[in-house]
Amino acid sequence: MTREEVAARVVGVTAQLFAMKPSDIKESDQFTVDLGADSLKSIELVAAYEDEFGLSVKEEEALKVQNVGDAIDFFHRLLK
Amino acid sequence: MKTYELQDVSTPNLLEETFPYTLPPLIKFEGKIKETIDGKEVEFDPNEVKTRDIHITDTTFRDGQQARPPYKQEHMVALFEMMSRLGGPNGVIRQSEFFLYTKNDRATIDACRARNLKFPEITGWIRANKGDFRLVKEMGLKETGMLTSSSDYHIFHKQNQTRKEAMQQYVEVVEAAFEAGVRPRCHLEDITRADLPGFVFPFVQKLERLSEQVPAHMKVKIRLCDTMGFGLSYPNAAEPRSIPKMIWRLRNECGISADRLEWHGHNDFHKVHINGASAWIYGLNALNGTLFGFGERTGNPPLEGAVIEYVALKGKLNGVNLSVITEMAEYYEKVIGTTLTANYPFVGKDFNTTRAGIHAGGLRKFEQIYNIFDTTTLLNRPPRVAITDKSGTDGVALWVNDFLGLQGEERLTVMKVAKIQRWVMDQYEKEGRMSSITDQEMEEQVKVFLPEYYQSHRKN
Repeated sequence: MTREEVAARVVGVTAQLFAMKPSDIKESDQFTVDLGADSLKSIELVAAYEDEFGLSVKEEEALKVQNVGDAIDFFHRLLK
Repeated sequence: MKTYELQDVSTPNLLEETFPYTLPPLIKFEGKIKETIDGKEVEFDPNEVKTRDIHITDTTFRDGQQARPPYKQEHMVALFEMMSRLGGPNGVIRQSEFFLYTKNDRATIDACRARNLKFPEITGWIRANKGDFRLVKEMGLKETGMLTSSSDYHIFHKQNQTRKEAMQQYVEVVEAAFEAGVRPRCHLEDITRADLPGFVFPFVQKLERLSEQVPAHMKVKIRLCDTMGFGLSYPNAAEPRSIPKMIWRLRNECGISADRLEWHGHNDFHKVHINGASAWIYGLNALNGTLFGFGERTGNPPLEGAVIEYVALKGKLNGVNLSVITEMAEYYEKVIGTTLTANYPFVGKDFNTTRAGIHAGGLRKFEQIYNIFDTTTLLNRPPRVAITDKSGTDGVALWVNDFLGLQGEERLTVMKVAKIQRWVMDQYEKEGRMSSITDQEMEEQVKVFLPEYYQSHRKN
């Protein structure tokens, strides 16, 4: 899967969870500061990415991801 | 001033020589304890407790029963049998005392005797008068406690006697016990509020002179009854409240050896356990307690706490079976119908239950962070989390993994339980809930959100 394909799906999942338009999500958006995620929302987001890509990720690594761009890179790396 | 440099180690120092986890944390001493008596310094060697034959005596069915509705005979026999297994074959729980007054009291002793258990040995409890002593003889007991009140509060205001009259009465019953071949155990009631040099020590010295006429196994035992919980374990506390001074004088000035001295406390000032344990350290062998501390008013030294203290002081189990403590607590709740306080150490429903999410997180990562010792192996009580809005996703993950019995790599991550945690938070934030989530409700959520795991769990 190309990075663009991963990005489209990460943005789509993120927009749905935060009830936003995909066009309003930027790669530089930080989950907590810009999107207003609390700790449970951050976990729900990773869980939603897992469902989207059919993967189970390591908790410690996944929870280090801080912004949308990091998430795209993280899943792109796993899906290579 | 001494300077301490940071030692940036590569592996953690968990101080396992003191906190082995496979046993309760060990109690270690460095050097002797000094006490000032009559202006002179005397020493106690606390490490002596490692080799001395310290043990526990029980009064669950005497003092313990004075503070609650009576037990049925079947309860007492079952608890007696469990007590025997808890204390083990080496008699860490050495004796248990019983009332003798009613037909039921005596039938219970017969039923316990019929179990043919080596420990605890059955002893009696009577008031110090000859009429009561007849009951001891009829039951064929080898030892009996007798009430020999020692403070003027009791002698003057309860018994309406002079000190001389009280002492004469006590001595007559002790002599009668010797004649009948029964070992007397004098319970020096209210000793921490007594005139020690004016009554207690002369009385004990008289008992010692009487004891010179009988074989070693018959010599009078002395129970130090801190009836109102006034005793103090602090070094250099003043008499008569000082436990160290009292024990020192009884041993060194009255000639009573450690194996003939026993401590019996009460919890009126929250000192009941530490006073009992301190009495062991300061040189007596027997600590008298009751199951879960039930006893007159605020209660007695908790027997199960004394057993844990014993293991911590000795550094080994010595035949003790700690899991019986849990069995006894369940018996109290399910059969006798007595609810133990949830946060009561070692046995309460929540004694090793954490509620805070940050603690649950620690517990999930490394159990030893928030568990006092291996409660799963030793007490058959795995550490738990109670689910509230403060438990966090870590707490929910811990609960779910423990419920499903998942180990190691199988254990579910916080992502897998996020939907359950969302349901929990909605209960509080949207529904305005005020109570904890019950285990049954949590199980229902596992069934809804993790059906494949739930089915697998049901099959196993």
